[in-house]
Amino acid sequence: MHTETSVDSAQPLPGDFAIWIFIFAELAVFGVLFAAYAFARSAHVDLFNVSQLTLNRTYGFANTLVLVTSSYFVARATQSIKAGRGTACGNWLAGALVLGGMFLVLKLVEFHQDFAQGITLSTNLFYMFYLALTFFHFMHVVMGMVILAVVTYKAYAGRYSAANHTGVETGGSYWHMVDLVWIILFALVYVIH
Amino acid sequence: MKLPQAFPLRPCTASWVVLLGLTTITFELGSGAPGQTLMAAVLALTLVKGQLVVSYFMGLRRVRPLWRLVMAAYLATVGGIIALAYLTA
Repeated sequence: MHTETSVDSAQPLPGDFAIWIFIFAELAVFGVLFAAYAFARSAHVDLFNVSQLTLNRTYGFANTLVLVTSSYFVARATQSIKAGRGTACGNWLAGALVLGGMFLVLKLVEFHQDFAQGITLSTNLFYMFYLALTFFHFMHVVMGMVILAVVTYKAYAGRYSAANHTGVETGGSYWHMVDLVWIILFALVYVIH
Repeated sequence: MKLPQAFPLRPCTASWVVLLGLTTITFELGSGAPGQTLMAAVLALTLVKGQLVVSYFMGLRRVRPLWRLVMAAYLATVGGIIALAYLTA
C-alpha cells in the first residue's frame, strides 16, 4: 500500500517563484485566447462546427494521451529526486522528453496534412484560431523541452539531490502548465461543438 | 480533491490513470450530437482533468490555500467564460 506524508498546507509554490510569475502570465494569455475563440464561435457557430469536423480528432486525442503521460513522468521525476534518486529522476525526465518529441512529430504530421488540404491562417476564422492556438502551444512545447533537456542533463550529472531539487520542480512546473493548457485546448478546439 | 491515504497507487499514478480515462471519454463525446449537454459534459471533464494536473502533477495540493484558490479560480473562470459564450451563441 502506498501512503504519503500528511499535507503541509504552509508550503510555498514548487520550484523557483519566478517561473510561477511566468506560468500565471502564460495562463492568462491562453485564457484570453480561449475566450476569444469561444466568443468568435458564438458569432459564427455554423462555420466553426463545419470547419471543426475537418480536423482529425484522433491526432488531438493521441497528443493529449502523450502529453498527459509526459507530465506524469515529470511528476515521477520530481518524486525521485526528492527521494535522492538522481539517475531515476534523469530516466523519468528522459522519458518525458521522448514523449514531448512524439507530441511535436504528431503535431507536425497534422500540420502537414492541414497545409496539404490548403488550410491556412486566412482560410477562415476557425482555422485562424485553430492554427494560431495550436502553433502557439507548439512553441511552448518546444520551450518546455529545452528546459527539460537542461534539467535532465543536470539530473544525470548529479547536480540535484534530495536537498537541492528546485531546478527539477521549476522545469517540471512549466511542463505541467504546457500540459494543462493543452487539456483545455483539446476540449475547446477539437471536441466541443 | 483528495485521494484516500491508503489508496494502493501513488496519488499521481492514480491521477494519471484517471486522466487517461477521462481523456478517452472526452474523445468519445466528440462523436456526440452538438448541444449544451455535450458542451457541459466536456467542460466538466476538462475542469476535473485540469484540477488533477494542478493538484497531483504540479503538486499544488501541498501549498498554501491561496495558490490552490488561484488555480481553481483560473480553471473555473476559463470554463465559465467558455460556457457563457456557448450558451449565448
